[in-house]
Amino acid sequence: MKGEPSINTNNLTAVQLMELDACVRCGECVNWCPTYDAAGKPAGLAPRDKILRWSQFMNKSYGLRARLFGPKAIPEEEIEAFKDDVYGCTTCGMCATVCEVGINTIELWESMRANLVKRGNGPYGKQGMFVKLIGEYKNPYMEDPKNRLNWIPDDVKIADKADIVYFGGCTAELKQTKLAFATARVLNKLGIDFAMLGEDEVCCCSALVRTGQYEIEDIARKAARQNVDGMVAKGAKTVVYACAGCFRASLVDWPRLLGEELPFKVMHITEFLEGLIKEGKLEWEKPFDNLTVTYHDPCHLGRHVGVFEPPRSVINAIPGLNLKEMDRIKANQRCCGAGGGVKAGLPDLALKVAETRVQDALAKSPDILSSACPFCKRNLSDGRDSLGAKELVVEDVIVLVAEALGIRLDDCVEG
Amino acid sequence: MSMEYYSGLSTEVANSFGMLTESMRITFAAVMIMATIAIAIFMIGMYINLKKWGLGAEGYGLKPSNGSIFTFPKTLAYQMSGKGHGHGQNIFSTLIFDALLQRRALRRSPGRWVMHLAIFGGWIALCIMSIAMFVVEIIHMVGIHVLDPAVFREMLSFPNDVFSYILLIGIIIAIVRRLFVAKARESTIAFDSVLLVGLTIIVVTGFVADGIRNGTLWGLGMQSDLAPPASLFHVVISLFFCIAYIPFSKYMHMIAGPLTLMANKGGE
Repeated sequence: MKGEPSINTNNLTAVQLMELDACVRCGECVNWCPTYDAAGKPAGLAPRDKILRWSQFMNKSYGLRARLFGPKAIPEEEIEAFKDDVYGCTTCGMCATVCEVGINTIELWESMRANLVKRGNGPYGKQGMFVKLIGEYKNPYMEDPKNRLNWIPDDVKIADKADIVYFGGCTAELKQTKLAFATARVLNKLGIDFAMLGEDEVCCCSALVRTGQYEIEDIARKAARQNVDGMVAKGAKTVVYACAGCFRASLVDWPRLLGEELPFKVMHITEFLEGLIKEGKLEWEKPFDNLTVTYHDPCHLGRHVGVFEPPRSVINAIPGLNLKEMDRIKANQRCCGAGGGVKAGLPDLALKVAETRVQDALAKSPDILSSACPFCKRNLSDGRDSLGAKELVVEDVIVLVAEALGIRLDDCVEG
Repeated sequence: MSMEYYSGLSTEVANSFGMLTESMRITFAAVMIMATIAIAIFMIGMYINLKKWGLGAEGYGLKPSNGSIFTFPKTLAYQMSGKGHGHGQNIFSTLIFDALLQRRALRRSPGRWVMHLAIFGGWIALCIMSIAMFVVEIIHMVGIHVLDPAVFREMLSFPNDVFSYILLIGIIIAIVRRLFVAKARESTIAFDSVLLVGLTIIVVTGFVADGIRNGTLWGLGMQSDLAPPASLFHVVISLFFCIAYIPFSKYMHMIAGPLTLMANKGGE
């Protein structure tokens, strides 16, 4: 072929390149995309449009015309504009759920992002800081790794080695510490010995994978290796997560990065608790006062890995709480807006999506909007504040469990 | 060996128009040549697509391949055998419920499902019956007189009509959507409309050709000696638009769609 194509196929698999030709342009993805909707429906953010554009880039670079006459140059502004649009996505997976030909759009966007990062176009805005922060501090919050231990109250007993390892995650250990508080105290209350990695814990690197930066300096793979080896050294047979993002990263991304299956079972805390509830091991001490709670499915827990029922089982088991579902739930739920690097790169867009989701909740007049991910909690709280809906409590399922078990959390100081 | 191509007129009728026997031979040769060209173009197009897809990696995190036509089938086979997230359906369930019966489309929009299944079902059925008729005619022509082409054509007359009308209904729904449903209209680009326009022309010419031959409503009162050229026109544009054009157009979704469903085990 004469001349060089403007794009390359780095990080895209042969099947993904084929998927670009499978789109029937039904537009169902456009109907459901949360960022497209929240941003005022700009054509570029429509998933269908992104597929068409990359398909056109491929044909201009490697199709029939390119083979006969040489690749057609694609203006750099066009590729930059495409980069902006492909990063305007929370990787919630709604488009994949509704796609009539089953295109795995989540992985397609992530592969395109990785391609554009390698090409020098990506990532978007402040997302570029993830590499430096996680590489240097082992967390995206520029906190000293030793600070991962700051949240631990004196009464919490953490074993040196145990069959259960609790992976706290950067957000719970460094920022939304109430989540780690609640999880640790609940496990203690239930008499479950657990270990943690402490200051040796490294970021799950979901942020790097989602934004296409997972190959830079091999940070993501090294982090996965360190975490897995650390968990094995702690005796882990089961690793429990209270953060949906970390859970998804360890279940799906770590095996890929490491090229091997994990040597332990991985569970979200709600799955773990559901099992204990079925065995009758939870004794509720402080029922709620007949409050209505609505549950938001985190994308990384629900759509991505199919954990829909356990959080609901747990909520339904808590006395004094009445679960009232939003209209869009489970596989059709609306994203909170934080994922895929959008909270860091496009905070205004993340907030608009959150506002829409909070409005979904407010339509059911609940007392509590609950979720099972600290990132969802953070962004939904921001959305609630932005709407001025002060009466709506946004709280994680594990915190509700802790409160119903009579565990005090008022000594927790959040970062 | 007789080289008359049975164009829908009975042999007796054909022989009574002596000069038409000549044009029928030409018609046969022309159709065979054009079919060969159409299939060749299709294969070249698929080769180019396989080369293009073959520039991808064989798996997650691997380096891009060199454009080998074997890269895609290898990657597809590997992905189909691996653990997938999503439904993780078995291949038969995926092929029957999602590829053939388009269950995922039905879940999202029953109206669009009806439209697309009518177009898909009609197209596939007519294609299969056309190939079947051609095969029977060729077998008869080479001297294996198992089934009389005229009888076979008569047997297929009713299903041909049924599926032709099913296809036509699907196309009419598609055109109405594109013209009168705002969302569909505003998102329509040439990539979409070329397919629809082409399919409409093929269906209409099919009805007209058949109508002239049978003297029915769709014959528009034309003389029966126009049936062979009308058939030829229909056959030629069908070959080029419905076979040769596939790899270069939105038609590619007919092949890539089921492959995607299989690769992703039924999807999310």
